[in-house]
Amino acid sequence: MHAIKVEKLEKKFGEFRALDGLDLEVRKGEVYGLLGPNGAGKTTAIKVLTGLLKKTSGNAEVLGIPIPNKDIAQRIGYMPQETALYVGLTVHQNLEFFGKLFGLDRAEILTREKELLKFIDLEKWRDELVANLSGGMKHRVSLACALIHQPEVLFLDEPTVGVDPELRVSFWNYFANLKSKGITILITTHYMDEASHCDRVGFMRSGKLIAEGEPQAILKEAGTKSLEDAFLFYARRGGQ
Amino acid sequence: MNIGRALAVSRRVFMDLKNDKRTMALITIAPLFAMAIFGLAFSGEIKDVHVIVVNEDLGMQTPMGQVYLSEAVISNLDPDTLDITAVDNLTSALAMIEDGEAWAVFHFPANFTNVTVLAQNQLTDARTSVNIYIDMSNINVADSIMQAFNGAVQQTISESGFELPVSMNKTAVYGQNADFMDFFVPGIMAFVVYILTTLLTLITFVGERTSGTLARLTSTPLRESEIVAGYAITFSIVGTLQALLLLTVGMLVFGVNVEGNVVLAFTVVALLAIVCQALGILLSAVTHREAQAIQLIPFIIMPGFLLSGVFWPLEALPSWLRPLSYLVPPSYAIDACRSVMLRGWGLDMVWMDIVALIAFAGVFLFLATISLKRRG
Repeated sequence: MHAIKVEKLEKKFGEFRALDGLDLEVRKGEVYGLLGPNGAGKTTAIKVLTGLLKKTSGNAEVLGIPIPNKDIAQRIGYMPQETALYVGLTVHQNLEFFGKLFGLDRAEILTREKELLKFIDLEKWRDELVANLSGGMKHRVSLACALIHQPEVLFLDEPTVGVDPELRVSFWNYFANLKSKGITILITTHYMDEASHCDRVGFMRSGKLIAEGEPQAILKEAGTKSLEDAFLFYARRGGQ
Repeated sequence: MNIGRALAVSRRVFMDLKNDKRTMALITIAPLFAMAIFGLAFSGEIKDVHVIVVNEDLGMQTPMGQVYLSEAVISNLDPDTLDITAVDNLTSALAMIEDGEAWAVFHFPANFTNVTVLAQNQLTDARTSVNIYIDMSNINVADSIMQAFNGAVQQTISESGFELPVSMNKTAVYGQNADFMDFFVPGIMAFVVYILTTLLTLITFVGERTSGTLARLTSTPLRESEIVAGYAITFSIVGTLQALLLLTVGMLVFGVNVEGNVVLAFTVVALLAIVCQALGILLSAVTHREAQAIQLIPFIIMPGFLLSGVFWPLEALPSWLRPLSYLVPPSYAIDACRSVMLRGWGLDMVWMDIVALIAFAGVFLFLATISLKRRG
């Protein structure tokens, strides 16, 4: 079963092709890492899939529903690259707001909030203004906001950029935890070393997928020790 | 349109405003500050203008004794407006104007009383005049000097029992006891709501765009119309509260009178706030950073300042400029608030202003929603 299915997806900004015939399949319940250098089209792919950008051509389905379709919004969670929180509100007020947007009632919001604050270890900070939190804390709150309505598919756009190593480890523990609950995760990153945490990874370059598979399998095929070298291997091969 | 989600947005905007002490101060103190400053500065009262009187009037012998009409005129000059000094000779008086020490010289010639009385009784064809030398470099000061002088002449004429062929009979249809603040407060109520609502939504919304929250909202079930509606609910309430605050202070501190239905005036202000928040959202679509939003501020303030009629009547604008005031939403709100609060007009009289505001609201809300729907 596919959670996300993308065929020949194209997105042009003027003459620039940010997505140039992207084909991608993400299975239900897996953690899929979209890897590639800056400008490869990872963020554009996520923005098209979450309805932030209009596709130019091609097809894409999320949970079996062709996009764009607002009905999907209720079932997906999106954590943008920027923190994207209301810094003038408290942690609680942010969670409450996003909860209401997804139609949760007061009791549901409070229950979810309790679980999530425990999950991201910020129970003590519930009534603090987001503006007063550290960068890493903001990232965690941002993740919690994307999870408030128990989405089936989670889109995480560079969730570990600018995050210290310790927090990055705990983030990947969160993701493993979410996966164990059956949530599908599509995650973009340009930290190649992180991708070993994913079930499968896809290498993106110039708006296309140039290789895909389980991290170990990719390393084997490329005959390299690190995913970074593997990426360079495929990038060179793709260029020939 | 899901009301629950629109209310969630509305509540969120409220929280944002409430949590930020500076914004709260801007919302509450700025209107009062504007009312006090503008109210006092533009009250139009000019005081203590230094003028010189050179009185060479020899008077006239009558059965009641020596009469000096010039003295009567001088004593009738408004002592608040004018600060009067008597000087014996015209040359040194004129030198005082030239040196910038005085604004005007009133010169009464020797035959002033004599010729005036004889002419009044048709005993001579000769005429006399008061010579006024005046520094016209400041038109407001010059006007108030002439006004004070004319007033003194009128009063002297009526006291002396002289007769003018024409008399003026003024009846105040509206605003019998209205003073400047009565006129000013209804206007500033609408004006402040226009400026602050537009700026606050513009800044808040540019924040939504730059911080990425707007993008995140787009991925949720929230619809563009619900965002606009949420903002509209909050800012119409905030605008009404600001108007209420201004009016309360206006009544308690400045003794402002209200003739008509205050609720109608507040409805007008709330409508204006809805128009302005939509305008703020719309303007945010053409800005990408806070700095660009700041560049827009003069384009928001100046038209409101100059074209809305809040400080100067629209009649003071050149005729080719006047049609532009119809494009400025606060013009209608200011006109309606004044008509309601000063003239006591009801909905039957101000409905046209309200229809204009509703039309603006409809168009701007629509455009704001469209601007949010636009995707890359």
